[in-house]
Amino acid sequence: MQNELQQLEARGDRLTHYELLGVGADADGGTVRRAYLEKSKRFHPDAWYRKETGKFGPLLSKWFQRLSAAYQVLSDEEMRAGYDRDHRAELSQTDRVAVERRELSVAEEERRARERRERLLRTKGFARIGAARKLYEEALESVLNGERTQAIFALKAARELDPKRHEISAKLVELEREQAKARANSALASAKEREEKRRFPEAIAAYSAAFQNDPASFAAAVGAARCAMETGDARAATIWASRAVELNPDDGSARWLLSRLFVSAGMKARARTELAALLNKNPDHKEAKALLRTL
Amino acid sequence: MGELVIGIDLGTTNSVCATVQGGTPTVISNRSGYRLTPSVVALARNGKRLVGSLARRQAVTNAERTVVAVKRLMGRRWSAKMTQEAIQRMPYSVVAGPHDDVRITLGEQQYSPPEISAMVLTELRLDAEAFFNAPVSKAVITCPAYFNDSQRNATKDAGRIAGLEVIRIINEPTSAALAYGFGKAQAERQVAVFDLGGGTFDFSVLHMFKGVFEVEATGGDSLLGGEDFDNRIIDFLAEPFAQKHGIDLRKDKMALQRLRDAAEKAKCELSSLKQVEINLPFISATQQSGPLHLQATLSRDQLEEMTAGLVQRCMKVCEQVLGEAKVHAGQLGDVLLVGGQTRMPKIQEEVKRLFGRDPAKNVNPDEAVALGAAIQGAMLLHDEQEMLLLDVTPHSLGIAIAGGFFQKIISKNTTVPTSAHHVFTTVKDDQTSAKITVLQGENEAAIDNELLGEFMLTGLRAAKRGAVDIDVIFDISADGIVSVSAIDMQTGTRQSITVTASSGLTEDEIRKATQSNEDWMLAQKEDPEFQDHKTRAEELFREFEALWPRLTRAAQNGLGQEPLQRAQAALSVARLQLAQRESEALAGSLDRLERMLEALKGALARSTGGR
Repeated sequence: MQNELQQLEARGDRLTHYELLGVGADADGGTVRRAYLEKSKRFHPDAWYRKETGKFGPLLSKWFQRLSAAYQVLSDEEMRAGYDRDHRAELSQTDRVAVERRELSVAEEERRARERRERLLRTKGFARIGAARKLYEEALESVLNGERTQAIFALKAARELDPKRHEISAKLVELEREQAKARANSALASAKEREEKRRFPEAIAAYSAAFQNDPASFAAAVGAARCAMETGDARAATIWASRAVELNPDDGSARWLLSRLFVSAGMKARARTELAALLNKNPDHKEAKALLRTL
Repeated sequence: MGELVIGIDLGTTNSVCATVQGGTPTVISNRSGYRLTPSVVALARNGKRLVGSLARRQAVTNAERTVVAVKRLMGRRWSAKMTQEAIQRMPYSVVAGPHDDVRITLGEQQYSPPEISAMVLTELRLDAEAFFNAPVSKAVITCPAYFNDSQRNATKDAGRIAGLEVIRIINEPTSAALAYGFGKAQAERQVAVFDLGGGTFDFSVLHMFKGVFEVEATGGDSLLGGEDFDNRIIDFLAEPFAQKHGIDLRKDKMALQRLRDAAEKAKCELSSLKQVEINLPFISATQQSGPLHLQATLSRDQLEEMTAGLVQRCMKVCEQVLGEAKVHAGQLGDVLLVGGQTRMPKIQEEVKRLFGRDPAKNVNPDEAVALGAAIQGAMLLHDEQEMLLLDVTPHSLGIAIAGGFFQKIISKNTTVPTSAHHVFTTVKDDQTSAKITVLQGENEAAIDNELLGEFMLTGLRAAKRGAVDIDVIFDISADGIVSVSAIDMQTGTRQSITVTASSGLTEDEIRKATQSNEDWMLAQKEDPEFQDHKTRAEELFREFEALWPRLTRAAQNGLGQEPLQRAQAALSVARLQLAQRESEALAGSLDRLERMLEALKGALARSTGGR
């Protein structure tokens, strides 16, 4: 165990989620989960309760948390796709091939499922109800395997066959909402990563994807504004910053951003309004006070 | 066998103690021979502390000095709306404590909820010590999954005051699943636990695989339980009475306690009967009409109608948690029902409707939680069967940010132990301290979430604003308990953090309470005179028991029932005095019993001799 921990430490951040869990990049949801549970048995601090772990105690806890984090990403379809996209370069040659193979087989499976759904959609009369139920059950099965996209397709077909079944449309709405949220979260995570690496144009694209999936995301709007400002695109920055202010009128950082943008665009009156609103909430904001005096 | 460890289900109405013996989880019966110990504490008229069924039995005549359902007050702030609502129904007096917590007045003294719970725990500990005939100092205690950090800390404090090292706090539904999965842990399956206890409702979805129990999602309502069902019946009884006689029985502490007992009894009976009669003679009196009686009939249908809203609240929680676990009700391998209230046929029916299957039959709703806690104790200390529990945090954890918003730092249903960090930057030149408000909940507005505490970061390095970055680390332990630490990112020095607002007991208060509890236990043990009386009493009881068949025969053959009835009354008095440790009074009763025994023996000898 100690050797294993030392090896993990030596590889540190270069270890991919797949390597950490000890699964191939083409592993399905069930395999990922079982691998995680098996590994937890050795890494969870409880497995070492009251045993002498010495200086390995903190390492154990750290790697257990890394393990849970990896599992969390790989057990969600959208987050896993995002991870594969963003970290392809870090994956090993075999894993890269495996990801491509998985993507291909997912595409192939989707194509086959699509054909089947189309066939079922041509069902006539009472049989349509039965076909809808079958699709609905398949969708539930897909959800269990972590294949949300497949489930959504199946539910859409089911709804067409049997529009009156409330549970079908309810489940569909629920899954679509979940999908949007997962997409937004995944986009937000990769946006932040890119912003940290100062790859601003890419970060803006990711922030805007997050915003599209979750139009209430203040973090996405303000992030896009920050990055747009860095790239010198004042117009885009102003649009994003106003959105952010609209979403969270009490937040000082968004208003401060917006006021500075107005000042540099020469729109003094609007800048003054923003600064006044900002100071109203945060009376101690020295920079805002100073800027207001110059106007 | 390794160190002794017990599992305790510290319930709102009843508590259970269990252990794993020879690889089998077993419930430890209390010293009166019962498996369930009522979570009731009372101060008897003679100043003695009563716990369990003794306390419960005298509740009607001593309502103001009998504490029931203290779990509802554990870790609560006095100023919280929920607290104020909960104490409306309490027959005993609840007052504000020194740190916005609650205190219970019992006679001359005031006790915090953990101290009252500690009295129940002490009783269970003594039961366990009697069972093992050895001292017990380690325990796993359960709490509702939906308990927040303050409530968990209060539970842990209660354990400490009772002289127990609480090696883990685990969630009740998870615990029940451990008991269910024990021995069949190899199979992979997904189960749901529906736990409706006396005061709280929890619902969890778990995944089991090769001895690992992974909680996928959990949710609940910490103010929804069997007592709410009782309260609906109390209202049903009290309201017509108030209209007819102009008296609100709920305002009279003694009448309320009688109503409460009657309501609970009716509720239990309606699980098997269709209709019950409720009779409460002499419940009140007026100047004009003299004594008043309460008489009513209640049918199962009526009960279901008046509690439909409560049942629906449970079902809504279930649907939400299933959504979070991304699982459909029909896909579960099993549904476990835990908690006494799940005996209600309507609840079983609704659960069956939602999950499309009958609930698992091999789970005892009263005992599963304690058994699971005992298993967890054995898992930790004795490497039981290579089992592991992966539990989650039931609430999101975060901090208050500018504009009164709540920023999540660890989201709900994250596997514990876990940690996350957040960087704070100074906003003023030479700023030396900063306040962090830590909250638990799901609401966007900070104020709508539960306040865990306010932390002061002090002794910050004096520098220009923005130049000091403090990395604040939030840890949630496997108990679900939160701790906060901070590091100056530029210099790497650890920052000190002081808790400035917490509803819990201070270290000093806990130490004092632990000491006084220990003193009480010593006083109980070290009374040689009482020990003598106890031995004598037990001998006498045995003799009476042995003699009883002959006495009943003699009673029919001319001796008459009267001397037997007198003896029986004297015996039950002595039993009560023994249980309440009333040394002197017991001695008097024993003298009387001895005289009676002699007289009865004489009578028997005469009747056989005369034949």
